Amino acid sequence: MTGFVERIRQGEAKGLIARNGIFIAFIAFMIAFGIGSDKFLSFNNLESVVRSSAMIGVMALGVTIVVISGNLDLSVGSMLSFGTVMVVDLHDKIGPGPAILVMMVCVLLLGAVNGFLIGFVRLNSLIVTLGMLSAIQGLTLIYSGGKNVDVNPSTQDTTWFRVFGRGEVAGIDMPIIIFFVLAIIIGFVIAFTPYGRRVYAVGGNPTAAVFSGIRRNRVVFSTYLISAFCVGIAAIILGSRVMGSQNNVGQGYELLVLASVILGGTSLLGGSGSILKTVIGVLILGFIQNGLLLLGYPYFAQWIVTWVVIILAVWLDVAAKRGRLLSPIA
Amino acid sequence: MKIAYKSLIAGTTALAGMAFAGTAMAQEPMTIGITQNNVGVDSYQTTYEKAFIEAADADPSVETVVLDAGGDVARQIAQIQDLVQQQVDAIIIWPTNGKAVVPAVRAADKAGIPVVITNSNIAEEGFDFIKSFSGPDNITQGSRSAEIMCDKFKDMGIENEAQIVQISGQPGYTTAIERAKGFEDRLPEVCPNVTLLETQPGDWNREKSQRVMEAFLVKYDDIDGVYAGDDNMGVGALNAAKAAGRDGIIFVGATNFAVGYEAMARGEYWGSIYQSPVDDAKNALATAKAVVNGEDVPFLNYFDTPKITQDNMDQFTKPVF
Repeated sequence: MTGFVERIRQGEAKGLIARNGIFIAFIAFMIAFGIGSDKFLSFNNLESVVRSSAMIGVMALGVTIVVISGNLDLSVGSMLSFGTVMVVDLHDKIGPGPAILVMMVCVLLLGAVNGFLIGFVRLNSLIVTLGMLSAIQGLTLIYSGGKNVDVNPSTQDTTWFRVFGRGEVAGIDMPIIIFFVLAIIIGFVIAFTPYGRRVYAVGGNPTAAVFSGIRRNRVVFSTYLISAFCVGIAAIILGSRVMGSQNNVGQGYELLVLASVILGGTSLLGGSGSILKTVIGVLILGFIQNGLLLLGYPYFAQWIVTWVVIILAVWLDVAAKRGRLLSPIA
Repeated sequence: MKIAYKSLIAGTTALAGMAFAGTAMAQEPMTIGITQNNVGVDSYQTTYEKAFIEAADADPSVETVVLDAGGDVARQIAQIQDLVQQQVDAIIIWPTNGKAVVPAVRAADKAGIPVVITNSNIAEEGFDFIKSFSGPDNITQGSRSAEIMCDKFKDMGIENEAQIVQISGQPGYTTAIERAKGFEDRLPEVCPNVTLLETQPGDWNREKSQRVMEAFLVKYDDIDGVYAGDDNMGVGALNAAKAAGRDGIIFVGATNFAVGYEAMARGEYWGSIYQSPVDDAKNALATAKAVVNGEDVPFLNYFDTPKITQDNMDQFTKPVF
């Protein structure tokens, strides 16, 4: 342990771990679980984990952009409940196409409310989105009247809506494809376009960004639209996978999403992070939960281990960056 | 702010006034107040409230004050205090939290107002202050599910080698704990050779349950039965099995939902426990009435929740939730 600290102090391993800490942790976990359970590394299981992580993953992509721009979005969980309830409910009433369209418009409007309050009014994002978390929950209850909604069982196997959650292309499940395609598009936009650079600038140093002519309010507004868009896509996947929904289906998912983003190494302070990191974070979280389940751990062990892993990952990240395990400031 | 506060008082007073007027006018109908957990949060509670109001309207000897705590313990305690102030003849409480409401229940009891708990019981330390609990017997529900599962295995002739998994409700919820306990205790009695491979929580959430089942299907090559803490989760598990192409699994749930009923009609889902929110509401009202009239009421006044399977489902109407 001392050697480890020494080496970090001397900066020898610093660069390597700082850049790849999360990958190393990921590989170590995969090996450990692979030894523990012979099913863990089977193709079926890998596919199953990535598929069930895809929905959290899609939401995490949007939240990553929000976090890079220096804000938070805690409303994604209830927004997911809202979107799923709506798209499933409207599916039989107006058909899958219009249902998706109407739902996306409504979800984007919710995102616009977030974006307006945080971008243009400049309220604190934690407070605004925490408020939206319960407000949207209320909206969902009003919309559904408390009832569970389902796609009519007789059309579940024939509607083209099933493609998003249950379809596959070349043997790969559709949620996985949607997740990766969206990750590539958003990852490209954020890493290689002027828009992406503006998002980083706003998160890294808002004052400097504004002085360089970036319209901070518009950038922040747009990040919440992206986040809402991703939630809409996740709602389509979830609705199609389950062919039904309930008011609290997304409850608590905002924390899983945020945990994935942080686990990947995107800083909560804004200005740094990447989509690739988030994808890794999503997969780590998915594999931890699945691995513990396959090894037969009870659920409370999963909660504790998930917490420990997040703390370790974030600690490793911080320690590598400052070259010390503990804070140098008293 | 001040205006709002005043109108709130005016509203409460008017409500109390109405309650008193009601008592005075007719040939002394009793006033029963109810504070519910969270109407609108799910279809069960929504239907319960509707049925309760209908049953009370149909009964000329009863006036009701129907309140809803919106899932908020503090609001529920305030509502109980309000009902005590109004001096209703009995209070029915659907606890938002089994422990937190106990002091308010105690205060109502001290004020001489009988309290009936509905649907899910309060913590044991409050038992001295209530007259009766009206609701489903979750332990019996769990054991009946075990019997349904076992009977089906016997029909299929696999009662000596069948392997099952359990998807339970949200950890910490009495309903979840009791159903699991009833099931786990009864199964070895009726089918000693059936193996319960593993239990994981599905949190009353269909999507979560579907994910848990996907993992089970990867982990275990041979699963003959699934017991889910309610049909909503059961259908999630069924989704997972269908997607994985694993046929022939026997699904048994509890609290028959419309989706479960429909899946049974399609022959994909074997059985469940029929728990009607209408019966639940009627039983609560009847219990409270009996208490006010001084009749003998069992302390645990359960309403019957029968077994429903593909074989007898035509005797039941499709659940509305």
